[in-house]
Amino acid sequence: MNEELTDEQIVVKTISEDKEYFAMIIDRYEEKLLRYANYLIKDEYKAVDVVQESFIKAYSNLNGFTPTKKFSSWIYRIVHNQSMNIIKKYLKETPIPENFDLKSDENIEEEFEKKEIINMVKLCLNQIPLIYSEPLTLFYIDEKSYEEISDILQIPMGTVATRISRAKLLMKKLCQQN
Amino acid sequence: MSTELEKIKGRVMDKIHEGKVKMKPRWYFIVGSVLTLIGLTLSITTSVFFVGLIRFTLRSHGMMREYRIGQMIINFPWWTLIFALLTLTLGIWLIKKYDFSYKINPWHIIIGFILAVIIAGWTIDVIGINDTLSKRGPMKNTMRWYIKEKNVSPTPLFKK
Repeated sequence: MNEELTDEQIVVKTISEDKEYFAMIIDRYEEKLLRYANYLIKDEYKAVDVVQESFIKAYSNLNGFTPTKKFSSWIYRIVHNQSMNIIKKYLKETPIPENFDLKSDENIEEEFEKKEIINMVKLCLNQIPLIYSEPLTLFYIDEKSYEEISDILQIPMGTVATRISRAKLLMKKLCQQN
Repeated sequence: MSTELEKIKGRVMDKIHEGKVKMKPRWYFIVGSVLTLIGLTLSITTSVFFVGLIRFTLRSHGMMREYRIGQMIINFPWWTLIFALLTLTLGIWLIKKYDFSYKINPWHIIIGFILAVIIAGWTIDVIGINDTLSKRGPMKNTMRWYIKEKNVSPTPLFKK
């Protein structure tokens, strides 16, 4: 029954009925947000802190959320802002941790191949500027629409399209070089 | 990583249960929005007024202004310029901080905002609202004080 509730309905229930509903929000988003934060700050431990802080921030500002808007864009925006604060604070590149994401039941060979591809893509992604790689990640990895990316990054949809297209060109160039 | 995820959920929910994290009440956001709107309106009104006052000062020097440039620089009300810039900055900060620029390029909003203030200030002076303001309106006292203090005429001495 609870599975059928939309994020926005859960938010309304958290505010008006029971704060326990917020745990459902955490269940739905923690993995995705952790991957997103880790991609942005490239530090597993800091990413955990960022996501935790983002959930706390989201909960305390839940009354400021407009239920007619998309909750997913709102929470991603909070993680984006928190991550940018961390990036500005530390301003250093840290290596991508191994074995971080994507659980799979496939066989070892396929798993290895997949990991190789992921590592290669990550390597290429890390070489292109964040303004291009972030919308690309949101679009292909987090499967967000242009409209949602526009909401998360607070840039016009046209700019999202341009940045994704440029990111693809850069990726092609860099991946081919590698 | 799954243990880390469990920890995130546990830690967040624990803080909520213990009351260390509380939901801000709805009125907090309503008051915030109202204050933002008031701040933005005041900053626009004030900067428009001061831009108008700056143009009024330049106009009141009439045709001889080229010969009195030094005097004009000394007598120029620099505080109005500073005040106009401060209120403009406040307006821009409010625009950037809150969602007014949602999905619109913030630079377009900022440039539009500055242009709107300058055009409005210039229009106010050209159509003579400044003269009306010197007689009545909320800025009456400022205008009167300014005219008296700087010994300027509300209309140019030599009209083209």
